[in-house]
Amino acid sequence: MVFGIVVLNVLLAQQSFRIDAAERRLEALAVEHLELVEVQATLSAPGRIAAWASRHGMRLPDDIRILRAPSGPADPSGADPASTDGQGGW
Amino acid sequence: MVLALGVVFVRLTVLQVSQAADLRDRAVSQRARTVELPAQRGEILDRSGEPLALSMPARDVYADPRYVTDPWGTARALAPLLRRDPASLVELLRSEGSFVYLARQVDLPAAERIGDLELPGIGFLEASARSYPAGALAPQVLGFVGVDGGGLAGLELGYEDLLAGTPGERTQELDPSGKPIAGGIDVERQPIPGSSVVTTIDRELQFQAQAALEDAVTNQRARGGTVIVMVPGTGEVLAMASYPWFDPNAFAGTRPGVFRNRAVTDAFEPGSTNKVITAAAAVQERALPLDEELSVPWTMRVDEYTIHDAHPHPRLRMTLGDIIAESSNIGAVLVAQRLGPSTMASYLARFGLGRTTGIGFPGESPGIIQPLHEWSEATLATVAYGQGVAATPLQMISVYATIANRGRWVQPRLVSATIGPDGTRRGVPLAPPRRVISADSARTVTEMLAFAVEYGTGGNARIVGYQVAGKTGTARIPDPAGGGYLEGRYIASFIGFLPAGRPEVVIAAILDRPVQGYGGLAAAPLFQRVARAAIARLSIEPAEPVGLPPHALPVP
Repeated sequence: MVFGIVVLNVLLAQQSFRIDAAERRLEALAVEHLELVEVQATLSAPGRIAAWASRHGMRLPDDIRILRAPSGPADPSGADPASTDGQGGW
Repeated sequence: MVLALGVVFVRLTVLQVSQAADLRDRAVSQRARTVELPAQRGEILDRSGEPLALSMPARDVYADPRYVTDPWGTARALAPLLRRDPASLVELLRSEGSFVYLARQVDLPAAERIGDLELPGIGFLEASARSYPAGALAPQVLGFVGVDGGGLAGLELGYEDLLAGTPGERTQELDPSGKPIAGGIDVERQPIPGSSVVTTIDRELQFQAQAALEDAVTNQRARGGTVIVMVPGTGEVLAMASYPWFDPNAFAGTRPGVFRNRAVTDAFEPGSTNKVITAAAAVQERALPLDEELSVPWTMRVDEYTIHDAHPHPRLRMTLGDIIAESSNIGAVLVAQRLGPSTMASYLARFGLGRTTGIGFPGESPGIIQPLHEWSEATLATVAYGQGVAATPLQMISVYATIANRGRWVQPRLVSATIGPDGTRRGVPLAPPRRVISADSARTVTEMLAFAVEYGTGGNARIVGYQVAGKTGTARIPDPAGGGYLEGRYIASFIGFLPAGRPEVVIAAILDRPVQGYGGLAAAPLFQRVARAAIARLSIEPAEPVGLPPHALPVP
């Protein structure tokens, strides 16, 4: 019986170490996640994107252009009316 | 011998029985130390959930000078990692006492390298460092935090209670060198993380607004400026920019005045943009038929003052629509005189002037309106064209949002929801809108504002394919030296909304002392640029245009 209690204690201590290790791993992963969120937010920041675009020769358009998709009943044959009709407007 | 043993026995009994509890407590108090466990501060997000502010784990590095064995050696080892001069560190390491900060908010990799050095007397406390990943984006809206992580300005301050969370604490028994004693007391109360705040800000549109504002201030050699973009139906602020601004990641050395969110905290005399209230009151009160042609001179005398229009002109026949389109001060005064001071004052209040909007931003100004009993004829006259009254840019854009929203004033808002530490999202309830003028009256005023853009002073705000409704403003600036106004210095503004027939966005563009003083020349192009960005970002489609108001002045 004494031996059994000792074994139980050892098992409990082992579990306790595993739980500690798991908690530390969880904490580390949470920190890593937060760091990745920060990196993503920094990389996608509009100022950074705009600067990159500008360095690659892109610029904002001077005016608004409105393009309307052609409308009309669907061709039963499955052909795209925009591609067969030269008045597509794109 | 027996006596000696008896004395020892008695002493042991006293120590281990009657004084046991007290001695045990004193022993524990000498070994136990309680440290605060900081709570993870909540994030501030834009309307799409993109982080605008978040807290990264960090460490505060401290020293217990009593255990620092080699101050100079320790200082030289720490200096490159803390980016500090060794001499300044030595001074701290030799100081009196048992605790001194060496550095705050050190990032984890640097803290780990310091820990690897195993320097005696050097310890760490858990901390966090606030990060604003988009840099100088909406800094006056977001605000910033202090070295202890508490909000000091902006939303960081206004929502401090929500963002901060509740710190925890940990009590441990430590040995003389400060290390935890195995098997000793180790009790921890977990911190409760803060909630996150979801703003109404669209970070892409915010960036576009800031870029446009910066270019306008630079090109116009202005002192500064403000841009606000708002959804008229809900009061959501999509962008709010005040130039000059700062980077909240590195704000040390910034002039304190730059921290202010001038869109909310600074009142200015709005000038002709205030004529929309005069017009709305006249339409709602049927003070004059819309097709009545008033005889409008260039100057007129009110009390002991002479007031005049911006440019000399012969006496003109002008309808209310013409008065708005041409921004005639005299015309606005004639209309206001038909309304009378009591009605005029009541409409200023109905449109929200003279009180805060309730946007929930710290330091919001209510603006300035003279009490009605102090009004003279001159007060009525000047208020009619927007001088002698002060309003914030936020109040003014809310006036135009009321027109755009078919006569209903909606409370502006910067925060749409909060997200608790458990991930539960709670919307911030919308305050019910307040009816100011009828929908028909709002439509009529909209026609006048659209007329002003199409044929009047607001031509530089036109956008091909869209009908814009808005008003220019060129306001004189009170002389801070006391009495009168500055000569040749103006606040130029343009406030408007589009599409006029089905408003989806309202924009205020304001420049402080631009070289081209007039609102139509300096501010209208800024409005136009921001409006184009809003159209693209929000996919705003054109709408059926509104008609022209009755007008006497010929149009092309």
